[in-house]
Parts: sequence; structure tokens; C-alpha cells
Amino acid sequence: MRRLDLASAALLAILAVIFPFFVNAYWLHVMIIGMMFAIMAASWSLLAGYAGQFSFGHMGFVAVGGYTAGLLATGLNLPLPLGMLAGVLLSALLGGVIGWTCLRMSGPYLAIFTMAFSEVLRIIIVTEVEVTGGAGGMNVPQLFHARTDLPYYYLILALLMVSVGGMMAVVASRWGLFFRAIRENEQAAAAAGVKVTRFRIIAFAIASSLAGLAGAFYAPYIGILTPDVASQDQMGLVVAMAIVGGMESLPGAVAGAIVVEFLVEALRSYGQWRLVLFGALLLFTMRFARNGLIAPGWLRLRNLAAPRGARLAKEAAD
Amino acid sequence: MESTPPLIEAAGLAKHFGGIFAVDHLDLAVHEGELVGLIGPNGSGKTTTINLLTGHLKIDGGHVRVRGQTVAGLPASGFAGLGVGRTFQITQLFSRMSVIENMLVPGLARPGAHKAHVIREARRHLEFLGLAALEKLAAKNLSGGQQKLLELGRALMLEPKILFLDEPFAGVNPYLRDEIIRFVQTLHSEGRTFVIVDHDLDAIQRLVHRLVVMSRGRKIADGPLAAVRENQDVIKAYSGT
Amino acid sequence: MLQYFLIQAANGLVIGILFALIATGLTIIFSILKIVNFAHGEIYMVGGYFGYYVITLLGVPPFPAVLVAMALTFLFSIAVERGLLTPLYSPRIERKADYGILVTFGLSVFLRNIAIIIFGPFPLRPPSFITGDLVLGGLIISYDRLVAAGGGLLLLGALIWFLNRTVWGQALNAVSQSRESASIVGINSERMYMLAFGLGGALAGGAGALIAPIYSLSPSMGLVPDTQAFVIVILGGLGSVSGTIIAALLLGLSENLFIAFLPDPSRGPSYANAFGLAIMMLVLLFRPTGIFGRQHVAME
Repeated sequence: MRRLDLASAALLAILAVIFPFFVNAYWLHVMIIGMMFAIMAASWSLLAGYAGQFSFGHMGFVAVGGYTAGLLATGLNLPLPLGMLAGVLLSALLGGVIGWTCLRMSGPYLAIFTMAFSEVLRIIIVTEVEVTGGAGGMNVPQLFHARTDLPYYYLILALLMVSVGGMMAVVASRWGLFFRAIRENEQAAAAAGVKVTRFRIIAFAIASSLAGLAGAFYAPYIGILTPDVASQDQMGLVVAMAIVGGMESLPGAVAGAIVVEFLVEALRSYGQWRLVLFGALLLFTMRFARNGLIAPGWLRLRNLAAPRGARLAKEAAD
Repeated sequence: MESTPPLIEAAGLAKHFGGIFAVDHLDLAVHEGELVGLIGPNGSGKTTTINLLTGHLKIDGGHVRVRGQTVAGLPASGFAGLGVGRTFQITQLFSRMSVIENMLVPGLARPGAHKAHVIREARRHLEFLGLAALEKLAAKNLSGGQQKLLELGRALMLEPKILFLDEPFAGVNPYLRDEIIRFVQTLHSEGRTFVIVDHDLDAIQRLVHRLVVMSRGRKIADGPLAAVRENQDVIKAYSGT
Repeated sequence: MLQYFLIQAANGLVIGILFALIATGLTIIFSILKIVNFAHGEIYMVGGYFGYYVITLLGVPPFPAVLVAMALTFLFSIAVERGLLTPLYSPRIERKADYGILVTFGLSVFLRNIAIIIFGPFPLRPPSFITGDLVLGGLIISYDRLVAAGGGLLLLGALIWFLNRTVWGQALNAVSQSRESASIVGINSERMYMLAFGLGGALAGGAGALIAPIYSLSPSMGLVPDTQAFVIVILGGLGSVSGTIIAALLLGLSENLFIAFLPDPSRGPSYANAFGLAIMMLVLLFRPTGIFGRQHVAME
């Protein structure tokens, strides 16, 4: 089965590379946004799905990444790539700190605490108008000076592949095992010698650094950054993407993000109804299809390709 | 045997909840190679003692020493790293992970662990415990007895010098009970030290050489099996007077 | 100067009482269902809108409209509970705490957005309970605020009476302490869950209907009370009704006084919320069970 996975991954990569030549500028933009959300959704999935830490502060780190990059570029005239790097590092650091402060918290307490963190951050951004431009937003210079979005597309594609690839490597390694052990039973994990403290902090740091990366990309790409990026509605969108894609599947979260983003655009004519639809989709998926819609669907398709005996064994193990 | 420090030692160990001492200034020393039973009526503080000696609860007074070194403030994972293994009263497994993954977690948590070697070792232990065929099953799909054995296997992966078993015979059918007794005896003969807490006095008697009795947080007897059995205080504690 | 502080303090108390209503609902839901209801602010919002439409469409006068709104919110909450929360009670589902978090979070997003469609994005304001202001020495306070505070106090009193003096209330208490023991005594847990969620929602809805003439209604009005309710229940202790009420009053007072004391008037109001959130984060750090809370009940 691994060969089928690798083959499909390779196929997808090829499709992704040639994608821009088959679509117009509008859909290219949609795909770029989709891939950016994919990084956010996948990293949230890593933290919540694999490590079991339900953080609703994820978008706060997106804001940290974006605003750091923007502020350093506009305020200190730092070259944008450096600003973006600083944004990622600051997000990682802050993420580790939050992970450390949350050590004694779990479940809903963690969710509330991280939600509060994101809200406080958002309030500060809105209130400090002189520094951040407040609710009106902050202008961020462009990264590339090209007529099309093509360089942005390949940049985000590269970032997506590196970050998701990196996360998948982590998940497949012993670290992934420890994350899951911590999620399943923290007490047993400690008794088994897993340094719970260290790995909870690591999980937070990885996830928030990638959220910061997405934010750091978002800022120059869109050109204007608003505090809405840290709002709970945005968090809800990312959660919906991860859940629809499949909470414990990183590729699923990526697929979920891209599918949802395309749906958001395709249904643009329905206006506000789209968001209602996504809320309903989220609820429906949570209620009836807890493992998501995309990842289990893919697994079933993949298992169909296997001979019957192996298929049954696979289904028992999956 | 007295020249080497005890494998694990509690000196004046105390833990209180609210105003009550769950463990009241306990002195207990376990030397390498021993097979100790820890018994006592309900609420005597046995499980709390295990939790204190394995880093799952913070100590309110006294010290815990492993091979003579005081381990202050060490978390549970640290104790595991020192070779102190334990099982739980209610089996604590990684339910949605497979049997082999449950075994790999402690194996790979050891510094410098090599994956292929750990897998081999895990399979060896599973073979010993009769769980080899269930390797790929999710832990939650195992029977209650199999889960207990898996938890034992998981503790074995730490290459523990000492194993604390918390009520291994609770709710276990007679056949499995005999199996567990045989496993413990085999592992003990290989040089591992055991401290077993249980209410099943029959199983305890078949296994242990030394018996420690607690009542209301205190140690009321500690010695060879035969002597403790005759101890009047012990009999009184169990009859509730 | 003193007058300014007095007015701020009075406003703070009014807000505190209403927050107490909302937060008490949240704490009851937590006590019985063992989940944190992330959609609580949205139920408050829905209650407010129920009140508005009951007055404007059905012609019910403002005072009884509050009670009708509460009844409607009660039914609405029960519908939500039956539709979304029943998996929490079946042994089949794993990781119940996660499910509770995600499904109520999803519900809040859904309700916020569907409210924009149904009610429109523009703020609505129902007619006042009593127009005009009370002037008492240096203190000026609108009658609507007084009605809201009074109504809130009445409802809180009724709640406490209900919990302590009626069979249903005592059954709720029993279930909050131990489901198993409660069912042995013959209390139907599922009915209690429905009651608890309905009751919690009704309290929030009542607060929404009481506050509507003062601050007007908008689809996103639930966001701030949502987080404030969390602050309050964390401070007062998840599961402790009296702690929640005290914490709510303290928070309402301190946030308004915070505004009063802060020298920069433009920053005051927005940072007031951040202030409450920061306090909550600190409390969670050092005393996760809250200032008055019982030992944290582990979630399944």
C-alpha cells in the first residue's frame, strides 16, 4: 500500500506544479489561499489530533507571524524574508511558552486558556492603532515584484510540502509515538518514561511555528493584515477544515483545507449562506463522522485496490 | 546484602490530602532481588505509597531514595528512566494504539534506543506473555486479562530493576491468575525485584517471601511471610477493630 | 469625580448581575453534563433575539417577553442537546471531552453565522422596559438597567430556590455529584441532562432578553459574554453556583472600575475585556480549579 501512497503523492506533486498553467489568476489565488490554510489546518491537526492538545489559540500565532513580519518590514525596514523568519521564530518561542504554561491544564481548560490568549492578542492589535493599524489593518510590502502570483504560488507550494513533509516525518518517528501516547493517556505515558513536559512543549512549538509561517506568508501576499486573522471565526474555519479532512490525518487536513477553500470560493454567490453551510458541515461531521470525511473516504478507496484478505486485515488495523 | 544500598527506599514518607495522612511517615526499604507483598485493608495507603515511590504523586514529607540517591521532585518519567516500573490498579493503556505500539513507547523513550532492537525486544516480551499473535490489534480490543498482561509487558520494556504491581489479580479469573503468578516467578528468577499490592491474600502468599502490612497510612508489620501472618496487629487491622 | 466612579460602579454591578446569570448557566451545564459549552454566548444571543421578536411580532409586553424568551430558549437548548450532545452519554464514543469542545465550538460558529442571515447584520433594539433615568443624588442610572439588574436578581434567586428546594433541583445536584449514585436512586440521568442544558440555556437567554434594550442585539453579541462567562466560571470555580455569582459581581465591578481608573479613555473599554481574560489566564495557571472551585472533576 505504501507504493500506492507514494505514487499518488508523486502524482499530486506533479499536478500541483503544473496547476498554474491550467487556471486563470482568480483560481490561482484561491489555490494559494487554500495551501496557506492547509499549513494552518495541518499544524492544528498535529497539535490537537495527534498530541491531543485542543488549542483554540492557533490563529493567534498566525497573527504573530504576520504582524512580526509586517512590523519589522515597515517599521525597521528589514528585508521581508528576514522579517518572515523572525515571525516564525517568535511564534515558535511563544508557542513553546504557551505550551509550558498550559502544562497543568487539559481539555476544556486548555481550550479556554488558548482561546483567551488569542483574544488578548487580537484586542491588543485592535487597540494599539498607531503601531498595528488597528482594525483598519496594516499594509505590508510585497515579497515579489512580478505581474502574476506565480512566485507566490510556488513559494507556498514549497512551504506546504516542506512543512507537511516535516510533520509527517515527525509523526512517523518516535516523537509521533510519544505525542499519541500523551494524547491517549498522559499518566501511562509518564509511567512509560515519556518526558511529557518536553513533548507537550515541542508539539506546541512545532504547531505554532508553522502557524506563524502561514501568517508570515499571508501578510506580504495579501498586502494587508487585519486583526480578524486572529478571530474565533477564522479559528472555526481552520478547525472545520481539519475535521472535515480527518483529525488524525495530516494529508487529510491539507485536503480538507483546499476543498473547503475551493467550496468557499465556488459558493461565493451565496454570500453569507456559505458560512452557515460550513458551520453545518462542521456540526454534521462532528456528530456523525468523527474521523472526518476526506481521510476515511480515501482510506476506503485505497483499501478497495487491495486483494480481499489484505483489505480485511487493513480495515481491522486502520 | 546490607552493604549495598536498597534498590528503593522510603524514609519518613508522608502524603496528606486535606487533613488526613494517606501515608503517615512510612519507612520501607526494598533490596535487589526481593519479592515483597504490600497488603492492608482498604484505605490503608498502599496505592498512594506506590504513587509516591514512582513519581506519580508529590511527596509532602520524607524522602525517596533509589540506590542511595535521593530523588527529590522527580517526575514519573524520571522514575521510569531509573528502572522503576509499575502497573496500575485500573489498566492504563494507550487504547487506540496497537499492542506493539504500546510496547514501543517505553522502549523508544529510553535514551539511545535503537528501533530495530526495540521491536525485537518487544516481540520477545509479547511472546513470553502469550500476546504475540495480537501484535497489530488496537489495545482497546483486547480482553481485560490480555490488557493486564500488556500493561505488564509495557512495564517490562523499561528494563526495570524493580516492578510495582498494583492489584494485578483484581477481577482476574483463576486461570489468568495462575499465569500471572508464573510470569512473576519467572521474571523474579531472572533477577527482577517485585513489590506487589493486592487484596488476593492467597495469590500473595503463593508468591512473596516478605510481607509488609499497612493500615491507615502506617506500616504495622514487615517481615517474613510466616511471621507476619501470625502478627496480632495485622489480624486486628483486617478485622476492623 | 466621585460621581463618575459611582456610575461606573453601578454599571459594573448591573453587568455583574447579568454576567452572573450567564455564567451560572454555564456552570450548571458543566456540573451536570461535564462539558464546557462553547456556544453559551450564542444561546444568550438567541435568547435576546427571541425576546425582541416576541415583543415586535407577537405584541407581548416587554416584561413578560423576558419570560417567554426564556421559555423559548429553554426549548431551543433542549433541541440542541438532543440533536448534538447525546453521543456524550453513550459509552461508544471515545474522548468525550474533545467531542464536547469541538461540537459546541462548531455550534457557536454555526449560530453566529446563521443569525446574520436570519436576523440581519444590523443591530436591533427592542423597546425599553421603562424609559428614562433614575437620578439619586449624584447617581444617574437608566431604568432599563435597574430593571435588568432587578430581573437578574429575581432570576438568580429563583434559581437558587429551585436548586435547593425543589425535587428537580435536588435531582440536578445529585447528578452533578455522582451520576451512578443518582441513577441508583432512580433519577433518570438523560432527563437531567436535558433539564440542565435547557436550564443553563434559559438563564443565558433571559440575560440576553434583559440586556437587549440597553445594548441592542447583534449576531456577534455572544462573543464577549462567551469569554467573560469563561473568566467568571474559572474564577468562581467550574461547578460552584455561589462562587460563580460572586465572581461575576467582582468581575463586573472590577472591569468597570478598571475603565474608570485607566487614564487613557480611548483604550479603556477594549482593554477591559483583555484585563478580565488576563486575570483568568493567571488563575488558570495557578489555581486551575478556580478561587472557590471544588477539586477538578476529571472528564471522561
